[in-house]
Amino acid sequence: MLANWKLREVVVLSVLAVVFGVIYLLFLQIGNVLVGMFGLIGYDLIFGIWFIVSIIAAYIIRKPGAAVLSETIAATIEVMLGNAVGPRLILAGIIQGLGAEAAFAATKWKNYSTWVLVAAGMGSSITSFIWGYFLGGFAALSPGYVTAMFFVRLASGAILAGLLGKYISDSLAKTGALNSFPLGKEARKAKQNDDISA
Amino acid sequence: MLLNKMNPSIKALSILVSILLLSIFFDPVTPLLSFVLTIAITFILGKISFKNWILLFSPFLFMAIVYVWSSLMFPRVDPGDSIIWEWWFITITAEGFQRSISLGLRVLSFASLSLLFALTTNPINFLLSLMQQCRLSPKIAYSIMAGYQFLPLIKDEFEIIRSAHRIRGAGRTETFLDKIKQIKKYAIPLLASGIRKAERTAIAMESKGFTGDRNREFYKEISVSKRDWLLLCLLIFIVLVSAFTSHKLGYLTLYKGEL
Repeated sequence: MLANWKLREVVVLSVLAVVFGVIYLLFLQIGNVLVGMFGLIGYDLIFGIWFIVSIIAAYIIRKPGAAVLSETIAATIEVMLGNAVGPRLILAGIIQGLGAEAAFAATKWKNYSTWVLVAAGMGSSITSFIWGYFLGGFAALSPGYVTAMFFVRLASGAILAGLLGKYISDSLAKTGALNSFPLGKEARKAKQNDDISA
Repeated sequence: MLLNKMNPSIKALSILVSILLLSIFFDPVTPLLSFVLTIAITFILGKISFKNWILLFSPFLFMAIVYVWSSLMFPRVDPGDSIIWEWWFITITAEGFQRSISLGLRVLSFASLSLLFALTTNPINFLLSLMQQCRLSPKIAYSIMAGYQFLPLIKDEFEIIRSAHRIRGAGRTETFLDKIKQIKKYAIPLLASGIRKAERTAIAMESKGFTGDRNREFYKEISVSKRDWLLLCLLIFIVLVSAFTSHKLGYLTLYKGEL
């Protein structure tokens, strides 16, 4: 899988994962506050934020494996920073990343339009929910509540991972930092076309 | 046999296997027993401070309480469950109560296993071990290490941006919307400079001859010994003994794939 990845891309992917690994840990605190207020569904409200690096990395680098690799590395970083959830977080990261990757794979890693990014966020929601259902023992909860949790998480994945991820990546492209990446090139081309037509 | 000196990859594997095994059981006794036994193992075989353990453990206690009250508020009610308490929309059945308690205990037993790993493992050794034992590509492993070293730099840069904002009077936020916009003002420059630094780091690595080839030597070799596999057996044994005791007491319940 890594054969046609340049070292530059792998390091950039890792740095993105490091930054978002820290953000993920911060959001765990926010999640704990929400959970205190709303019960278990509190996590689902912001669950999408925990998939965002998959969307950003895949959208910027546009290579097979970007989504699953970035999410796995972000989880590894969380473990390295001393998050007490431990190695099981890495497994969760792989599973979340695979959900997003599935959406990109379905387009053969060619289409990175908004709806694909949203679908990728929702893909992570689905795989992470199945994993959480098994590990968290959601079977003890009432089916109505579990269904509500699922749909809230699906929406959260679509908005907080898909749409927010696209927004952040596009803002980054405007700074010029991504000029050597597909997204940066695309943004520059769009700008040139605008200039010409103006 | 000191936990701090064991092979990190095998330790991680042992914990994952035990967690997966534990999630099959749906009764309160199995997780409770393995929780107690895991803590015993942690303190007998590991060199860790009790204070740190409590500090990291307390959020899990909170999470366990959330699990219990969520499943008490919104329990699965199967036909034939005996109702012990009913008030407004809340119905508590004997079976539901037992399931809630076992969910809470499950969180605690997972936590004790995770802490066993988190408090006895050096992060860099963990990466080295993943590379040497689990065939993680050096390209990825050293990239992660490079990124990991960026964290203090990113923190410094955050301070610089904050000072720059302050000196220009741009740091004030009053409304909630301002605060959201404020996040973007920090996040985008930090990410942009992180990406630029990453590209420079990659060039530096390549110019010093880093190819990412798997056939390489390591300054620090991480080895696997029989003791590491013994830990795996020990942790699995803990779960099985707990489940067996639970069975003897007549509590054992397996997850039957209910949806």
